[in-house]
Amino acid sequence: MNELQLIPLLPFIILAMASVVTILLIAFRLSHTVIQVTGFLMMCLVVFATWYVRDTLPEEVPPLFIVDGQAALFTGVIIFCVLVIGLFSYIYFEEREENPKEYYILLFLATLGAAILTISQHFISLFIGLELLSVSLYALIAYLRNRNNAVEAGMKYLVLAALSSAFLLFGMALIYMEAGSMKFSGIAEKLPQVSSSPLFLMGLGTIVVAIGFKLALVPFHLWAADVYQGSPTPVTAFIATISKIGTFAVLLRFAQTIHLQQYPLIIAIFSVIAISSMIVGNILALRQQNLKRLLAYSSIAHFGYLLVAFLPGNEAGTEAAAFYLIAYSITLLSAFGVITLLSSREHEAETLDIYTGLIWRRPVVATILAISLFSLAGIPLTAGFLAKFFVLSAGVQQAVWLPLAVLILTSVIGLYYYLRVINTLFGTSGTADVMQKTVHPFFHVSTYITLVVLAGMLFWIGVFPGLVLQGIRLFLLLH
Amino acid sequence: MILIWMLCILLAGGILCWLAAQRQPLLARWIALITVSADLLIACWLFPVYQAFPDNSSWFINYQANWIPALGVSFHVALDGFSHILLLLTYFLGILAVLCSWKEVRERTGFYFFNLLWTLAGISGVFIAMDLFLFYFCWEIMLIPMFLLIILWGDVRRHYAAYKFFLFTQAGSLLMLLAILALYFIHGQQTGNYTFDYFALLQTALTPSTAMWTMLGFLIAFVIKLPAVPFHNWLPDAHGEAPTAGSLLLAGLLLKTGAYGIIRFVLPIFPQAAADIAPWMILIGVAGIIYGALLAFSQTDLKRLIAYTSVSHMGFVLVGVFSFSSIAMQGVVMQILTHGLSTGALFLMAGMLKERLHTRDITKMGGLWTSMPRLGGMAILLTMASAGLPALGNFIAEFFILLGTFSNNPVLSIIATLGLILSAVYSLRMMQKVFMGPLISTVPVVDLSARELIILTALSISIVVLGLFPQPVIDTVHHLSTIHPLLHE
Amino acid sequence: MPVQYYIFLSIVLFCIGVMGVLMRRNAIIIFMCVELMLNAVNLLMVAFSKMWADAGRVDAAGAQIFVFFIMVVAAAEVAVGLAIIVMVYRKSQSVDINIMNRLKN
Repeated sequence: MNELQLIPLLPFIILAMASVVTILLIAFRLSHTVIQVTGFLMMCLVVFATWYVRDTLPEEVPPLFIVDGQAALFTGVIIFCVLVIGLFSYIYFEEREENPKEYYILLFLATLGAAILTISQHFISLFIGLELLSVSLYALIAYLRNRNNAVEAGMKYLVLAALSSAFLLFGMALIYMEAGSMKFSGIAEKLPQVSSSPLFLMGLGTIVVAIGFKLALVPFHLWAADVYQGSPTPVTAFIATISKIGTFAVLLRFAQTIHLQQYPLIIAIFSVIAISSMIVGNILALRQQNLKRLLAYSSIAHFGYLLVAFLPGNEAGTEAAAFYLIAYSITLLSAFGVITLLSSREHEAETLDIYTGLIWRRPVVATILAISLFSLAGIPLTAGFLAKFFVLSAGVQQAVWLPLAVLILTSVIGLYYYLRVINTLFGTSGTADVMQKTVHPFFHVSTYITLVVLAGMLFWIGVFPGLVLQGIRLFLLLH
Repeated sequence: MILIWMLCILLAGGILCWLAAQRQPLLARWIALITVSADLLIACWLFPVYQAFPDNSSWFINYQANWIPALGVSFHVALDGFSHILLLLTYFLGILAVLCSWKEVRERTGFYFFNLLWTLAGISGVFIAMDLFLFYFCWEIMLIPMFLLIILWGDVRRHYAAYKFFLFTQAGSLLMLLAILALYFIHGQQTGNYTFDYFALLQTALTPSTAMWTMLGFLIAFVIKLPAVPFHNWLPDAHGEAPTAGSLLLAGLLLKTGAYGIIRFVLPIFPQAAADIAPWMILIGVAGIIYGALLAFSQTDLKRLIAYTSVSHMGFVLVGVFSFSSIAMQGVVMQILTHGLSTGALFLMAGMLKERLHTRDITKMGGLWTSMPRLGGMAILLTMASAGLPALGNFIAEFFILLGTFSNNPVLSIIATLGLILSAVYSLRMMQKVFMGPLISTVPVVDLSARELIILTALSISIVVLGLFPQPVIDTVHHLSTIHPLLHE
Repeated sequence: MPVQYYIFLSIVLFCIGVMGVLMRRNAIIIFMCVELMLNAVNLLMVAFSKMWADAGRVDAAGAQIFVFFIMVVAAAEVAVGLAIIVMVYRKSQSVDINIMNRLKN
């Protein structure tokens, strides 16, 4: 390793520095606003750094990392999400916690973990990234410790995440025993000889358990609803987007390197997981009265859809998955942004009755929520439609008919509950207008503007996906 | 390009209505009226263009622009005679829909007209899209505003009806999406040219079994929309609970998109598979004719009654399309037009009655002739049209269909003729219950206002004119006999 | 000593850990069981590292380095985890995880 090889890692180094800088700022007793702004600037710096190193890609930093187009793409999405979530966090935490500053250290550390997952090509970096993400998340979920729910959610996530990482490690150890290498490419070399060994398959299986847990796929989804509900809303947005993008990115790379999809057994396992996620997620969401829980179950279903794009294991599938993740993140960010904006100090805006007739009281916010729900439901004019369209076309190309049929059936079921929420938005309500928060006018307005921009992006991607698609192809070619 | 302007006018008009209604609800109504009228004018203005076009059997307007080149999706819209008359119907009924909601909609006016105009935009998009992706896009876009129209301004059981409507049609259209994708990849693998363009996909060679499955994907979506038995379940609820303009659009236009889809996509793209499945489709069509008529006879809810007559009439469309005869095809086009007008008119009447009596139950009506002679007179004309009285448009349509079917399927066409008799029975029963007999309702009713009179007169005149001079319409769709090899013979 | 012995021992330890997590109700004991699982993996890793080193792999020391990473991460996990458990205890004067069912409406 030499210093030249460090250059492609520049964005990640800056990301790591962001949390150190935040610690320093806290040590100097600077205000929440300063930290927020600095964090924002640091994240912008990461984006610039990614832009700066684009010519050196793809670059391998042996043995742990590989920085290629795919990694840059997913890191870009992650950074975009954390920019938005950071902004949402300001108004949310400024109201609730006397001391919201340490939150940002954890936020940036967790982001770093997710970003490392996108570039890792070795079990060690996979594990470090995943744990960086998880351990920060334990604290983030339980951050508002004065609320019972938060601690309870944190505890649940803690126990299950610790269990799943133990499984992950056990699987890694077994694979290492059979393959003699912990590098993905090293495993791929040995694979033809060991692919039928029971211990190797058991190892793969336990890794699938751990990944499935992180992505909240059925049957490892039990934590999702409780954690989504109990976490502070920006953290929920984090779990729903960044944490899953990072995990999916590493799954994708692992699968690509060792050509996971050529084993019928693995395909069968993932098909079953995808199908059951789609069915269970959509059905459990049907009767939810709590918007955060509803989004939790819907995200279980959505990652089932995403796995349908993962199953074929071809270029089109990767492209579809990348597009899906981008569309899905923007959608969820706008939905959670609306929840953040509507939450007051005492109450999370999570029960559906808060939203009754919202469109007549706060038309802009309600329209944004409606657009994001339409996008989740996959209705044309929104990004969600094209995302689903690409997944379907990737599936049709490889003729995975059964998961496709389930996808169609369950998205019809899914429509029902999204429409139910939309119907609530348009209902008639007797309650008076929610109190307008003008405590921090600047951040309030900028959150508002961000939401409008996000909704605009949903429309723009939904109608003119050409540019995004080209970008994705450009990135994916760099490998 | 002019076609895109037509769409843009509607979309922009919808947004303007929404914004304008914040200040002044009346303004929204006028904007909506002007918007749709402008589109109708443009569509009428296209008539001379069409006449001047040398070869009046083909696409006289054809516009293509890149949309998502990476996928082979283009913004391809085109117009032939068939699409043109459907566009005319769309805007004509659109104006009537705006007019009939003038007084009926009092709350959230702007949003109402927004939804109305966007539904119209979706429907016109469906009629002109020549790119399957764009077609699917528009097919979906017309659903959401329609759903909102039903669920927000509908009647008591509107939630149930709206969800049912949406889920039924959505299930069908997702299957269609799958079929479109399958066609796209098969064509791409054959030619190396991945495109959603209609004219390119027409050339796809399919093995019989693939063709059958792919066609089923399309056909189920269209048959649900049409609707044919056994997929008709959503229709009575949706029609019954929707606001008047919603029922008008549903019956007059949304059902027609199903018929349009079968004629435009299923027959030309899958000629062999369509011929194979034709006997079954005719059977379903005949079943729909009889079943719809019987159920219409037993209804007491006026709007549901009219809804079931739609099931019956659309059965004729299915029979006509799959009998593969040019005469029947002309009848189908006539049926699409005249059913849109006559059933739309009946729904308008039902809406007017409901506005006055606050009920849709025909057992609570009766003897209304004395107090509402004008409405009664109109009603006689329109129900007779719907029952297929000669000299009115529907007669020609159904006569042509039966004539065309008789030569290759005499038994089923005789059974279908029974439907005509049944339609006379339920129409007369409806007239008798509502307008004749002793006066039951104690609510004082007033006769038609000038606005309502204009609406119904316009509809009646067009039905009579279509009945007396069907030739112009038949001329415009002459080329439809080239869409399927069997039609030539 | 053949590597099978280590595998067997580790699997037994790991299973004890899994059973403990699934069956015990005391949050601290659950945590200890997770640690047990991690240590079972550590043992396994060291054994395999030796095995592959004997087989002539030059990069076999990587697995032993991994063991150090696992130990560090486990320590971090315990630090955060115990903090959360302390919070639970302050709230409810108990570390029994059965009381945690306030969520779910």
